[in-house]
Amino acid sequence: MTAPTTTADAPDETAVADDGTGRAVRRFGVLALAAAVVVGLLLGYAGGLLTPQLTRPGDSSAEAGFARDMTSHHSQAVGMGLLAFQQGTDPEVRQIGVDIATGQQGEIGIMQTWLRSWGLDPAGSEPVMAWMPDGAKLVKNGLMPGMATPQEMSALESAQGRAFDVMFLNMMIRHHLGGVHMIDGVLDASDDPEVTRVAQTMKNTQQTDLANLQAALTRLGG
Amino acid sequence: MSISTPGGPQRRPTVVSTGKKPAGGRPAAADKTAGGKAGAGKGAPRQSSGGKGRKPITPVKVSQGRSWGPIALFAAVGVLTVAIIGFAAFSAFQGSKPWEKRAADISGVTDYREKDPELVKGSQHQQGTVKYTITPPVAGAHNPAWQNCMGDVYDAPIANEHAVHSLEHGAVWITYRPDLPADQVATLKAKVEGKEKLFMSPYEGLDKPIALQAWGYQLKVDKADDKRIDEFIKTLRVNASIEGPTALCDRGVTATGTTPRDMGNQMGDQTQG
Repeated sequence: MTAPTTTADAPDETAVADDGTGRAVRRFGVLALAAAVVVGLLLGYAGGLLTPQLTRPGDSSAEAGFARDMTSHHSQAVGMGLLAFQQGTDPEVRQIGVDIATGQQGEIGIMQTWLRSWGLDPAGSEPVMAWMPDGAKLVKNGLMPGMATPQEMSALESAQGRAFDVMFLNMMIRHHLGGVHMIDGVLDASDDPEVTRVAQTMKNTQQTDLANLQAALTRLGG
Repeated sequence: MSISTPGGPQRRPTVVSTGKKPAGGRPAAADKTAGGKAGAGKGAPRQSSGGKGRKPITPVKVSQGRSWGPIALFAAVGVLTVAIIGFAAFSAFQGSKPWEKRAADISGVTDYREKDPELVKGSQHQQGTVKYTITPPVAGAHNPAWQNCMGDVYDAPIANEHAVHSLEHGAVWITYRPDLPADQVATLKAKVEGKEKLFMSPYEGLDKPIALQAWGYQLKVDKADDKRIDEFIKTLRVNASIEGPTALCDRGVTATGTTPRDMGNQMGDQTQG
């Protein structure tokens, strides 16, 4: 099948090589090869420069949505934790409070650094929780799962003594349960190694916290 | 199959592919060269290779085609590649345009970082009433305590001295005339509640119905559905902070009232006020 064409084409080649244009062609071939190598290297370089930019999470990605929303979610836990450290009566409540506050504030820093390194704004254009399937349904008055309402926050601020401790523990348990749900959301949606690693650490921490918060609540007879 | 493909001269597969299409998986690569050559314009003789009687004419054409066909093809592919990469680079560049540039692009925004760098730099703590030249203020000395900016929706005016501290922490402060229609207040509220680094309050004596403040920036608009409100928030929330993204918005003053609360009683007593 192929044989006839080879013979058909072969004479053309020799015909070309015979006259002067053949040399020009060969010379051109060398130049073209050199040019191709240079262009190839440049393209490779440009591709290498661009690939991280083009493959990093975009403005409406689950990773960016998680980083933004979890920052908001965490910041309320930071406030509650600081309040517990300041206002709690039970030593363990105060201890857990400051631990959660500093830990989650640190995680806010990590998530904000992601956004900056991805070239994204701390504020998104999408509605809250839009990155999670059915996420929008979980939002009430702008509050993500487990978050306390402004009324609950001011009730906590006015509470004192054991009543404060019990209220704090209940609110933080609910907050953590909502947080774990959101972490599961990003673990499902993302395969970014850094994001999933940090999210998994967050989940482990919050699950340990939950056990301790619940035990403290039982101890205080809440 | 594996024997013929690796070293096979380009010419061979071209005919294989034109003559017989369904030839396994490997010739796909060869098929490409065939398609490319045909596309370059000088593939005509090859297409009609069934009629071998024309051979005397073809050699001339083919010899020309050898030099110009590949050049055209190479140039076309090159231009296309450069265009694609250029476009990708351009859009990536546009997307990562610094927020300062994007802030300047919001029509009607006043950039006090440019107008009054000294004001925007200063951030001293000061007890008592502070005099501000800009209404509502966008920067300057402020009370040691910040106004809570955890998506707080205040239903009465608050103290400038606390609010400016919140701006320093990266919050965007939405103020509106007390006579703003309730549905527009609700629209603003929906943008604010639940989001830290945002807070809103009515403000007496505004020259426009709505004014947005970030540290060093101000935008005044007439209506709550103005698209620039979202642009302002997206571009400046946290970004405008001179203290970075981890400054606190909680544990601040939650009480309303335009008289600043002195440190010492404001934190503990705010629930009474």
